[in-house]
Amino acid sequence: MKRIAINFGGGLVPGMRELLAGALRAAQSSGCELVGLRDGYDGLLQDGPPGVVPLTLHEVESGGPGCLIGAAPRIDPFRVRRVDADGLIEEVDRSAELLQRLQQAGIDGMVSVVGASAVTGLHALSVAYKLHRRGLRTVCIAKSVENEVAGVPLAFGYDSVLAHVAESLQRIRDGARDVGRLAVVEVPGRNAGWLALQAGIAAQADAVLIPEIRYDATALAAALDAAVQAGRRPALVVVAEGARSVAGDIAMPAADPLRASLAPNADVAFGQGEHVIDLAGTAGKAVAAALQRAGQRDLLPMTLGLLPRGGPPTALDRQLGRLYGAGAVQALREGADGVLMSWQPPRLCRVPITEALQRVRALPLDGDLLLGARSLGFALGDAAASRAAP
Amino acid sequence: MSLHTEQAARLIGRVLNIQHFCTNDGPGIRTTVFLKGCSLRCKWCCNPESIHPKPELAYDPKKCIGEAACGACLKVCPETAIHVNEADGKVGINWDLCTNCNQCVPVCPAEALTTFGQEMTIEQILAEVEQDSSFYAESGGGLTLSGGECTLEPEFSAALLAAARSRGLNTAIETAGNVPWHFFEQVLQHTDTVLHDHKHFDPVQHKHWVGVDNHRIQANYRRAYETFPDKTFIARTPVIPGVNDTEAHVRAVLDFIRPYKNVVDYQLLPYHRYGQSKYDFLGRVYELRDFPSLPGATLKHLQSIIDQAFGRAPPAAR
Repeated sequence: MKRIAINFGGGLVPGMRELLAGALRAAQSSGCELVGLRDGYDGLLQDGPPGVVPLTLHEVESGGPGCLIGAAPRIDPFRVRRVDADGLIEEVDRSAELLQRLQQAGIDGMVSVVGASAVTGLHALSVAYKLHRRGLRTVCIAKSVENEVAGVPLAFGYDSVLAHVAESLQRIRDGARDVGRLAVVEVPGRNAGWLALQAGIAAQADAVLIPEIRYDATALAAALDAAVQAGRRPALVVVAEGARSVAGDIAMPAADPLRASLAPNADVAFGQGEHVIDLAGTAGKAVAAALQRAGQRDLLPMTLGLLPRGGPPTALDRQLGRLYGAGAVQALREGADGVLMSWQPPRLCRVPITEALQRVRALPLDGDLLLGARSLGFALGDAAASRAAP
Repeated sequence: MSLHTEQAARLIGRVLNIQHFCTNDGPGIRTTVFLKGCSLRCKWCCNPESIHPKPELAYDPKKCIGEAACGACLKVCPETAIHVNEADGKVGINWDLCTNCNQCVPVCPAEALTTFGQEMTIEQILAEVEQDSSFYAESGGGLTLSGGECTLEPEFSAALLAAARSRGLNTAIETAGNVPWHFFEQVLQHTDTVLHDHKHFDPVQHKHWVGVDNHRIQANYRRAYETFPDKTFIARTPVIPGVNDTEAHVRAVLDFIRPYKNVVDYQLLPYHRYGQSKYDFLGRVYELRDFPSLPGATLKHLQSIIDQAFGRAPPAAR
């Protein structure tokens, strides 16, 4: 294997250059070349600057935010919209053209850094999987703010996002408690409650609402009242984006039109439906409204939104990024194909891409993290939680 | 059976839906046949399931009974395009991998998975349309062919309309006109009433909201008015707030159509969001989700301009 390319699907997480650095060092030490693909696959399919970007260690390791070569969730090479010679609009498969261009560029292996992100769902992973089935030798690295990628217990970027969210929650809780208000803070997590629960525990939240457990606003209000009776001052309710009421799905407040129009995949022929429109803030507002109706008047609804996706990575993500980047190049050189890198200490494993396509990993209801949270007295919005509150 | 008729009998159309008792799709009481496939991508489209020509999968997660109770679709999908959301136990569709093979549809006991569209012959369609023949006779109604864009399948549409006519039905089409002229001409030959859209008069705005500019559409309309002087043309505009709800647009359309006596009316269709849930079923985004409804006063004002142009009494006096 002489020339390997790396590209990024949409959805920023902190420290993406660590992946580049790990892959680049591994490539150089094994005598092959690593190049970047500009803006996902857009650079190879659209006019503009060259699609293949040379990478140097100096540039990659000189610090700075972002992933250097750009990420593009919008273009799906299997479904590119065009106006044909007859003036008719259609979506066409340009994957053969893309594969040909990769071949012309001498690229014989691909490292794809893919979501599942809350906005684009499994899109980038799916595109990588389809290209792998069309013959492109592919190894994927999962990055995620929700840590919901099946087969990968620790996705790249999750630890940094968790640290940022926990710190933000703690600051909000301290401020809210001092002024006697109850902060209702929505955090990322459309499909899984890992981030909400782990950050909520770390920040000593009073209640955590997650997609895995439908919440009952009455039970939640009762749990918060019980905390007051016990002499505490509830100050923080953490709400995952995907938290839903037992009363059924609350009518979603309309998404902000500007955000909707700017959302990745904002394209009728392409995307992930409800995942496409950025609904950040709606779940938190619904909980705040329900608590308001239940008599908790001094509320402070907030949304962290995209904030945790930026900023510096944690030490764990720095080393994990390099490990994943180097491991992916090594896997390609050893002939691996159609796999996802997965850190399962003490081993860096390779799991089939299909494993991640078959399930979206959520918190097990009988898992020790959830049971532990209950035993520690965290209200989880259900009747069991209200009983557990001291 | 003549050779021509035999050929027509073999034609297959991609039918999205057959809707009975329509009163706004041409004269009298009508049955509207919606074909799949469209050559435009209007951002306000209320029938997103009509855009792609082939039958396609639709998924309503509210009806899914989950992997634990069922899971049948997971076993039959050949594309790994169905996954389990562990948070609620229900399945999710990976629209990037789904090829619309629809093998999951018959195994879904809850009908959470369904298909938009089916292939039908002209005879099958007319058998359903003719169920309401007595209403057509009484009201002067008949068959309306809509879409999607029904002129995108000119052979099928022309044959269907010709067959309907031969059985004494009045024929109408709903079209946006963005097809090569010979497609348009072929279908119009067998049509009594042509309901045709003027979506935006400015070519740049037209391209922004609809996907292509309006040069060919307007050329087709002009040529159709002149080529078929005996047919009835009714111009229409889906009125979208902030897009084309202006006096300037309505006056521009009136200037365009008024020189032609066979354009007998100009109708306004106020924007609605009834199609929104269908976008979710198809895994697509509705870009106009947050658009406001059209104020009644705006519609009334625009309608009064049209009434004046057609020499009709203003609405208040009617």
